[in-house]
Amino acid sequence: MSDSSVVTVGAGWALVGLVLLGLLVLLAAVVDGLVGARASGASALGGAMRPLDEGARLLRQRRRTTVAADSLLWRLGGGGLLVTAALMIAVVPLGDWTILDLDVGIVWFNAMDVLVWALLWLTGWGANSAHGLIGGYRFLALALGYELPLMFALVAPAIAAESLNVGTVAAAQDGVWFVVWMPIAFVVYLMGVAAFSVWGPFAPALGSDIAGGVAAELSSVDRLVFEGGRYALLAAGAAFAVPMFLGGGSGPLLPGWLWVVVKAATVLLVLVWGRRRLPAARPDVFVEVGWLVLLPAVLVQDLLVAVVAVWGS
Amino acid sequence: MGLTTWITRRAVRSAHVLIVEMPGHWTTRVHVERVVRAWGWHPAVAPADADLLIVCGAPGPQMAPLVERVWGQLPGPRAQATVTAPAEVIPALGRAQAALLDQRGQWEDARDRAIEPDVEHGDTGHGDVDHGEMDHGDMDHGDMDHGDMDHGDMDHGDMDMKPGGIPLAEGSEDRDGLEMDVLHVSLGPLLPHWPAGLVLDCSLQGDVVVAAKAAWILGDVVGAHESDAYRPGTAGAVRLDNVATVLALAGWVAAATSAWRLRDDVLGAQDPHALRPEIERLRRRVARNRLLRWSLRRVRPIDAAELAERTWPRMWEGDVHDRLMSALDRASASLATSERRRGALDGSAGMAGPAVDVTEVLPQVVHGLDVATARLAIASLDLDPLGMTQIQHV
Repeated sequence: MSDSSVVTVGAGWALVGLVLLGLLVLLAAVVDGLVGARASGASALGGAMRPLDEGARLLRQRRRTTVAADSLLWRLGGGGLLVTAALMIAVVPLGDWTILDLDVGIVWFNAMDVLVWALLWLTGWGANSAHGLIGGYRFLALALGYELPLMFALVAPAIAAESLNVGTVAAAQDGVWFVVWMPIAFVVYLMGVAAFSVWGPFAPALGSDIAGGVAAELSSVDRLVFEGGRYALLAAGAAFAVPMFLGGGSGPLLPGWLWVVVKAATVLLVLVWGRRRLPAARPDVFVEVGWLVLLPAVLVQDLLVAVVAVWGS
Repeated sequence: MGLTTWITRRAVRSAHVLIVEMPGHWTTRVHVERVVRAWGWHPAVAPADADLLIVCGAPGPQMAPLVERVWGQLPGPRAQATVTAPAEVIPALGRAQAALLDQRGQWEDARDRAIEPDVEHGDTGHGDVDHGEMDHGDMDHGDMDHGDMDHGDMDHGDMDMKPGGIPLAEGSEDRDGLEMDVLHVSLGPLLPHWPAGLVLDCSLQGDVVVAAKAAWILGDVVGAHESDAYRPGTAGAVRLDNVATVLALAGWVAAATSAWRLRDDVLGAQDPHALRPEIERLRRRVARNRLLRWSLRRVRPIDAAELAERTWPRMWEGDVHDRLMSALDRASASLATSERRRGALDGSAGMAGPAVDVTEVLPQVVHGLDVATARLAIASLDLDPLGMTQIQHV
């Protein structure tokens, strides 16, 4: 594989990765419950227990189907989100170890986040519901706005490290973290993570104005898997930010792997905290911003990074 | 305590409640929402997401089959209750909760239900729901019946094919002159964040409304049980509720939640006047948010010429953002004097100017908009659910 500084561990360790991802998802869900309960004036403890209650509720619920549903594609769409998140974290080095040490790890991550386009669309399409279909349209329209800026945001660390290998990118931030001199790329990246997780302002595809949109007809375990998938994508996106922008496992006192977890959890909490605080980015308006503001901004960022990289070498 | 019992108890703790409002039962709906939030439950946005169906106001002969259809879409375990007055809310929700907890009852309910929903509903009491849906000819057996949130009306190919009994969509020229499928989708009458009793039959290309027709479906006896619930501050609370709806549709959950809580405070306050500073604070917060302004600017602008030509009320001038701010101003103004006159409710605070027929206005308002902006535009009109009685009987 590559000559990067990370060690590839056996496939069995993938389980540990999944457990860590699960813990991050749980953390995000608990904090989200707390934040939501606080906003609506309900009890904080009840809010913190919300993931448990929701899980129990959805497991108790009956699975339903709709008339002439495309069940296979519908369920593939929902379940695919969890799989995608798992494949994303496979290339995130946990300190010195990684499950998959690809030369093109960044491209891998990018390919996974593009997969979400298809999965969300299929979930909206499969139920044979007008609202689901409209939700699917909306997601694709939004994706046109966020995907290119996200891609070019991922390019910045790769140029600076002169590698597409995630471990090498993390190691290249020996002196100073990339977030310090690539703030625009970092912010655009976080926006992209929220967008492919259909999160907060980027959730018009699940809007209450179209009865839940893509998720309008989901119930029971189908909804549980779909919601879990969104949280998992958010957590995976937060975890991937660590080697890309936040110096990977570097940090005082604690071991490298723990630093990765701590940093990932911090990024995740910022995303959870921001969920309800902003109005929705309506797709038709957001495309304008994506192309006229974010894309030029992140291209300028890439240019600066490239100049520094050439000048420095 | 067995595992099943434990799961049941935990599950019911965060029940999702689909709240449907019959025309004239605004106060009851608001009370239900308040109790739902206080109990740590959550409002549902679609039947598939709901465990409880709470009907505010007794459904009349037109509404009952629609309610029945929505009820059929709850996945189960499920329970329903009809609440006709604010005082009944807590006992009714308590009974619904007990029904949801009752394992045996839920098993019996589930046993008799088919998993695959029934499409051939043409005769399930729908024939009498005459609100324009029937003029799409043979296209539309599939699309109204779920009332609002339905599945089953889009497909492509040959008109003779009817997968699952649903006729396929037919094409028509879109705005660019290209052929595109047309879907017939009814918005309302049982849709969250939607004027109670309103049905908007839309023809959609993609998600753009190319034609629409509006109608009212009446409930039982409009508002009869509620008249004693009007208090000083109600007009302001209605404005705040409409403001919250716009904010919720704009996706700004935090501000919408604040507006809803403020609405409940105003309704419950001895002296609503004292809450004016709170409304002013909410207004400043909304005004300051650049993202919101940028998102709602230029959405369905109505200029002075259009107002004059169509004799629409002055308060509709501007875009959705202008109308949102003016609704907040009216909320604040209506609390300025502690009004005692019931007449102030529908007059000065609500539909100022000449009475308009909403069923004529809405198709003009939503024409050419996509579903999201159409919803925003309708919500921004700040229609008065309490003054609705006059309009319906026109």
